[in-house]
Amino acid sequence: MNSRERFLAVLAGELPDMVPIVPVVDGFFAPRVIGRANDECFLDGGCLAEALAAALEKFGYDGAVAEMGLGPEPNLLGCPIEVEGNDVPLVVETVIGGRDDLQRLVLSDPRSGGKMAPVEQLVAAVGSEHAVLGSVRSPFEYAASVRGLMDFMADFYRDPALVHDLIDAVKPATLMVARALIESGIDALVIKDSFASSSLISPDHYREFAYPAEREVIADLAEEVPVILHICRNSMPILEDMAKTGAAALEVDSLVNLAAAKKSVGGKVVLKGNIDSVAVIEKGGPADVEAAVAAAMSAAKAGGGFILSTGDSVPVSAPLENVAALTEYGRKYGRY
Amino acid sequence: MEETLDKFEEAIVAGDADLSVELAGVIISDARVGADDIFTHLSNAMETVGNRYETGEYFIPEMLRSAEAVERAMVVLEPYLFEKKRDKSGVVVMGTVRGDIHNIGKNIIVSALRAAGYEVHDLGVNVSTEKFIGKVRETDADLLLLSAFTTSTKPALFDIIAALEAEGLRGEVKVISGGASHSEAFAREVGVDGFATDVKSTLAVCRKLTGG
Repeated sequence: MNSRERFLAVLAGELPDMVPIVPVVDGFFAPRVIGRANDECFLDGGCLAEALAAALEKFGYDGAVAEMGLGPEPNLLGCPIEVEGNDVPLVVETVIGGRDDLQRLVLSDPRSGGKMAPVEQLVAAVGSEHAVLGSVRSPFEYAASVRGLMDFMADFYRDPALVHDLIDAVKPATLMVARALIESGIDALVIKDSFASSSLISPDHYREFAYPAEREVIADLAEEVPVILHICRNSMPILEDMAKTGAAALEVDSLVNLAAAKKSVGGKVVLKGNIDSVAVIEKGGPADVEAAVAAAMSAAKAGGGFILSTGDSVPVSAPLENVAALTEYGRKYGRY
Repeated sequence: MEETLDKFEEAIVAGDADLSVELAGVIISDARVGADDIFTHLSNAMETVGNRYETGEYFIPEMLRSAEAVERAMVVLEPYLFEKKRDKSGVVVMGTVRGDIHNIGKNIIVSALRAAGYEVHDLGVNVSTEKFIGKVRETDADLLLLSAFTTSTKPALFDIIAALEAEGLRGEVKVISGGASHSEAFAREVGVDGFATDVKSTLAVCRKLTGG
């Protein structure tokens, strides 16, 4: 069984030879592996693809998560961004000041200007042996980006109808980016809905605003590609709802009790997680990684349906040996 | 009037901005109400909001709703409080440091500090070191609050402390940092005077550093 087969077997409900390992190595950490700065790779797709492939080869895990880049993504909906050095791209201006701006929302084609080139390049470079996942923002997350997170969340009480209308208005962005990723040859789609986390909004607001849009876009896409729903920080209170979205897998963070998650939703969906990307991968050492991996395996490995991963993006300053340890101990404790 | 002040406090906690504004109007119609009474109720309200966030009863949207109620009530209250010439709790300059555009935590803290009687100069997000220094000098600030959410902001914190020292202002202003980007240990390494992570700890450390 090669890496890609191992990953796809789990999503198909089959028992693989060992637990697949697909950490969230993206444009934050990967550029370091090829000695490039983040800002180069955030804006240069070729650099990002090269970095993701090099990280995959160096650390030997089973799949890479391709994206069009943190720069171009919010930019698709017209938000100007600034990138400098290793800084995260900043959305320096939001485009939705109020209801009147909804009509001004323009979605540029995610296939234009070579935006999908990094994904195609990665599929060509590693896709025969390894899984290539593509990641896209949920409508809820796109809506927060174009409105500004604070106004977006204040609108939950101020103007809930605007929240619904805005989410509807940006839904095509999620679908168009998803379809462009699928056409580029990805094996699975990660829908990121970080702002829907119970660390930020109440489970009631999740059900009112985020869940319906998740369910709708997943229903539209699930026949074309397996969907992994990512909500970081604490998603424990909404896990059962997430399992009803139609996603094949849930990417859960370290605040989720993996054993409890396995018990409550493990029969319905695959779990992907949940090594703490900050406390363990960035701040810990290889011994901490081993302990965390062993605990995750003992909580969620039994009977299949588990992909070992970090709960969120591996930080830019994570020691290389900790990422190497994730694969090493993932293999040691992951055999069936 | 005590009953109205209690209702006002409850309206802030519930995030009912319209009711907060209405009750603020009732409160200032009675010239006997002291500025201290008003600030006590305002800051109690924001402490309750902070506690409810800590216990998982409130989330970010509920905190924003209460912060908005404070801001709208303050528009009504400010002329009255100014007339009462109450000594302010202190002058605060606050902003999110360069490289970071997160404004939620900052805005909630700004409202909580205003509710506690501080004169707050909010510089917004992605604020340059020069802008912080200029405002501290201009306002003769007692406290400089630096919000830093993303980890890439760490160098900016060192820059600001170094610039305060170079400008001879380090002894004039107490600096407090906070946000998800860094720990208390890192804040000590930067050399700030205080570290806070939420409404409650920010109010406590501000009071401590201003001798309140």
